[in-house]
Amino acid sequence: MKRLGPAALVVALLAYPFVDKALGLHTVHAVSDGMIYMLLALGLNIVVGYAGLLDLGYAAFFAIGAYAMGLLNSPVLGSPLYGHAWSFWVCIWVAAAVSALLGLVIGAPTLRVRGDYLAIITLGFGEIIPVAIRNLGDVTIEIGGWRPIERLNLTGGENGVNPVGRPHLPGVPFETDPMPWYFLILIIGAASVWAMSRLRDSRLGRAWMAIREDETAADCTGVNPISTKLLAFALGASFSGFAGSVYAAKLQAITPGAFEFQVSIMLLCMVVLGGAGSLRGVVLGAMLITIFDRVILSQTTFLVRAIGRTTGVSALTAVDLTLWRWFFFGLGLVLVMLLRPQGLAGRRVRPVAGGDADDETAVPEPSAPPRLEAVPEWLRTRAAGVDASAAALDVRGLTKSFGGVVALNQVDLTVPRGAIIGLIGPNGAGKTTFFNVVTGLVRPDAGRITFAGGSLVGLRPNAIVARGIARTFQSIRLFAHMSVLDNVLVGEHCRLESSVAGAVVRPPSVVAEEQRARERARSLLAFVGLADKEEDLARNLPYGDQRRLEIARALATEPRLLLLDEPTAGMNPRETEALTELIGLLRRELTLSILLIEHDMEVVMGISDRISVLDYGTRIAEGTPAEIQRHARVIEAYLGTGYEAEAAGQSGPR
Amino acid sequence: MLELADVHAYYGNIRALRGLSLSVERGEIVTLIGANGAGKTTTLRTILGLVRPRRGHVSFNGQRLDSLGTDRIVRLGIAQSPEGRHIFPRMTVLENLELGAFARPDRDGIAPDLERVFSLFPRLRERIAQKGGTLSGGEQQMLAISRALMARPGLLLLDEPSMGLSPILVDTIFRIIEDINRQGTTILLVEQNARMALRVAHRGYVIQTGRVVMHDTAAALWRSDLVRKTYLGEK
Repeated sequence: MKRLGPAALVVALLAYPFVDKALGLHTVHAVSDGMIYMLLALGLNIVVGYAGLLDLGYAAFFAIGAYAMGLLNSPVLGSPLYGHAWSFWVCIWVAAAVSALLGLVIGAPTLRVRGDYLAIITLGFGEIIPVAIRNLGDVTIEIGGWRPIERLNLTGGENGVNPVGRPHLPGVPFETDPMPWYFLILIIGAASVWAMSRLRDSRLGRAWMAIREDETAADCTGVNPISTKLLAFALGASFSGFAGSVYAAKLQAITPGAFEFQVSIMLLCMVVLGGAGSLRGVVLGAMLITIFDRVILSQTTFLVRAIGRTTGVSALTAVDLTLWRWFFFGLGLVLVMLLRPQGLAGRRVRPVAGGDADDETAVPEPSAPPRLEAVPEWLRTRAAGVDASAAALDVRGLTKSFGGVVALNQVDLTVPRGAIIGLIGPNGAGKTTFFNVVTGLVRPDAGRITFAGGSLVGLRPNAIVARGIARTFQSIRLFAHMSVLDNVLVGEHCRLESSVAGAVVRPPSVVAEEQRARERARSLLAFVGLADKEEDLARNLPYGDQRRLEIARALATEPRLLLLDEPTAGMNPRETEALTELIGLLRRELTLSILLIEHDMEVVMGISDRISVLDYGTRIAEGTPAEIQRHARVIEAYLGTGYEAEAAGQSGPR
Repeated sequence: MLELADVHAYYGNIRALRGLSLSVERGEIVTLIGANGAGKTTTLRTILGLVRPRRGHVSFNGQRLDSLGTDRIVRLGIAQSPEGRHIFPRMTVLENLELGAFARPDRDGIAPDLERVFSLFPRLRERIAQKGGTLSGGEQQMLAISRALMARPGLLLLDEPSMGLSPILVDTIFRIIEDINRQGTTILLVEQNARMALRVAHRGYVIQTGRVVMHDTAAALWRSDLVRKTYLGEK
């Protein structure tokens, strides 16, 4: 049954134009046009659905693809550029390349912005392109009385480019028959869907989604947000380059009016209606909107007029529903957002595991303490291969202030290899800022940070992860709408090598790498006790499991130094104990260095070799746990006198 | 004062509460103890109307809450300091606190309460003009609690108030909880630090997989084997 569905689809797609011809329906032209828009929507889905970058000007890339074809493959325009029409088969690749290049150009200034700002920039870009095309149809440059360029027609202006050359293939009648066009577009479309689905399930696809979910966390997990976002823009644009060039050649004429803002919005409607991020959904959304636009509106208009004529209601005979298309699009979008915001084929949020365990009233399964043999073998091997003397963090004179507030003031700190160092201090003392500076999220004003012999100052977070420093966040930052397994796989990102081409073609080396990555991720999940939850969405995990998943994700980057920001916050004593054992195990078995921010004194005092204490950004004490517990300033600023009482004996309730 | 009877609540099709019943009397501190995912936070969200019970009912001073909007429930005198803080990141500390008092009928009481909050957390006074989002995690926690106190509620719901706070502040927080309780605020407390919670509470409920498996006075719970083993971390 499962195989039957796709096979039936292929047969239907291949048989359709012949059936159409036999029945004399003459719909192949319209269907082919619809498929071009579908291809555009799929390209937009890479930007919006996968990478989460809201693009309101995507039609600009459609225009660029169409004009690349039009200008290179048109015999009529007067400028020297158009003397020799190039072959369609060359132009289509040039168009894709030009679109991708312009994808990079528009992508570059938007790298620092997200959300609303990004949308506004793309909106501007979408407006600029059609206007530029209109105005470049009549260029005159006048310097004094001298006119080096007079009435140069670069783009055909308002009238557009007409005619555009058709593809030539011996024996194939592109001139007279819509059927070759149908198959050409079908082949391009099928190849695109195939490539996109492979991209989605690749190292790059996971990186896009990680960026969409939480850019900062992705950066700190080893994903370079700059190149990842640029790739989304470039690849997304290249598909519209294909679509635009086929569109131009098929229509035989292009005008700037075909690439207005409405087109961008219609494409966005297709993506959102079907379900951003879902290939099947976007295809479905594009089909629905195209059919509605091209078939249902006009047919209903006929029907209403016919009813008007038979019943003699003259108001009905004059109705033209096609003028209402934007009204219906808008209405449809509002309804989808209200009733099914994830889109028609969007992913449903799956229930958490154990949802139907009905009768258990016994003690809940305490999270299993980590076992020695559960330490993933590959992590051990990796750990063994590291130069023992080099891996250590050394921070000297680190200073950072925000506005007038000094968050870090001349802080020194050393984490030797295989040591657990506690970092404690009152709330707001600068502990998390220290982590942020070491991991590259915040640039220090002054000071030195060296790790394994090299300086870290000025490096991007993802480069610091690649050097071997991983972290967790105080307020857990997982990729909420990705599976537990994918979260860990993103952690492996910086240790994998597959390229864009490799992700699509999947040579044996990439297949093997992906296989190995999954095995490693699963062994890590087993290690932290999440083996049976790999398919759950991260957001559906209970709090304690989310903390463990974050540690697994950090370990997947193969760190030599692990920065843990309040790992036991929100855990009950049993869970805290299990996690403490796990941290100890990491150090013992993998000689991992660990820097630990933690307010649970039992944990900090229990496993730290040495402790540093920050207060108002300044290190006020450093020493062994026993020394710190007795340190007068630490007791005054941080521990309080109650701590001693509690440590001395556990008094009961009042 | 507060009563939950046979409450069933769902997230999508996940059963979070399976017939949970509990009551809180005026003037009490009642604590909910349970593992992660047991349903403690869901219980608080159900009281506030953020989650709708599919079965059972919630009432406050005899009035049914389960059909009211959250803003109405807050006006009845229930305030919450949510887990994970949820402060307003682009507003200043002062604005956050003033918003806490948004639903109060007695405008005159706001200034003294502001003063009281600042004396409880001097750190917040130092940061008064800073944006909430630029505070450290622990400072945001102080702000969330203070914002709830500014509502001067009859019933205060505290979700993990000690999370992310330094040991000295954990002591302070629990002292504050006892103080405001003595001044007449009833408190429902969710806390992973069961040891501290049982020390200040009068009564407690142990919650497992969405229902109450044990309830008793805090002292009795402290002595119970189940609680000692599972939630106090004793071997």
